[in-house]
Amino acid sequence: MIKSKNNEFGKDLYILYPGDHYATQEDCVIGTISASCMVICLYDPIRHIGGMGHFVIPGAMGTEGIYRDEIGSHGITSMEYLMGEIVKLGGDRKKLRAKIFGVANVSGVNSWTDGIKNSIFTFIDEYFRVEHIPIEKEDIGGDRRRKLYFFPRTGKVLRKLLENNQDSSEFIKMEQEYINRVFKEKNTYGKVIVFE
Amino acid sequence: MKHILVIDDSATIRMSVEYALKEIGFPISQAENGRDALEKVNSIKSNGNDIAVCVVDVNMPEMDGITFVKEFRKGDKFTPVIMLTTESEDQKIKEGKDAGASGWLVKPFQPEQLVDVVKKLVR
Ligand SMILES: [Mg+2]
Repeated sequence: MIKSKNNEFGKDLYILYPGDHYATQEDCVIGTISASCMVICLYDPIRHIGGMGHFVIPGAMGTEGIYRDEIGSHGITSMEYLMGEIVKLGGDRKKLRAKIFGVANVSGVNSWTDGIKNSIFTFIDEYFRVEHIPIEKEDIGGDRRRKLYFFPRTGKVLRKLLENNQDSSEFIKMEQEYINRVFKEKNTYGKVIVFE
Repeated sequence: MKHILVIDDSATIRMSVEYALKEIGFPISQAENGRDALEKVNSIKSNGNDIAVCVVDVNMPEMDGITFVKEFRKGDKFTPVIMLTTESEDQKIKEGKDAGASGWLVKPFQPEQLVDVVKKLVR
């Protein structure tokens, strides 16, 4: 993530790279560009706290349900990282609303198999249903990259569809590196400590 | 009868922990924050039952996991409490240990590992 001050909004702009998440109650803007990853924006409209996560699940899931699935549990954990930051700031999980973007198949860029793409859609449907978080906007799929600006205090999102090689194409490379990394590390779990 | 108490503000995490721990064979109760969990502890104990182990998230609204452990330890020195969290910083882990936690697992967890730790601590 980088922070920039010089931008069209006259507010601090936090730019998320693939795999990043950030939550805040500052009057700022959080931006990213996504081709095939999902971008999840969550906000608490009462307490004016919001956050964005840019991530992907590392493979195709089985049909058992996301909480019984290893791939699904990685996705749940990615959501937890974002949610944990919102909760630490005092956000109310029961008031949260979601706006979801990304998961495109862009030609010449990473392209999902139907199995993985359907798994990502299933993950989104099931996660937000079980967590009782209403999805206010869902703009996923298609074949274009999306440039997104999220205003965490209000939940407003500005979205622009990009041509394949237009604008910040270094994101394409970073996204591919991130995807390669999480797919390779999908059998990696967190540490386990037993206190003596 | 001993109960496993799963405490997490995320419904999907509570369901995956419950699913992983089913094979241990104890009844499983869920709570969505520390305060809710303290009430569950009281109602389980006042029904003549006991807690086998608590599996506790750290970041939760109302009452976080570290505060829960401190409160729980006022009335129960020995029941194992396993923290299951995205927090992995040494400082946070030390806070948990000092509060009286018995173990610390960082998400994402492998179901077999959680079962192993529970079996090791529940005697
Ligand atoms: Mg939590």
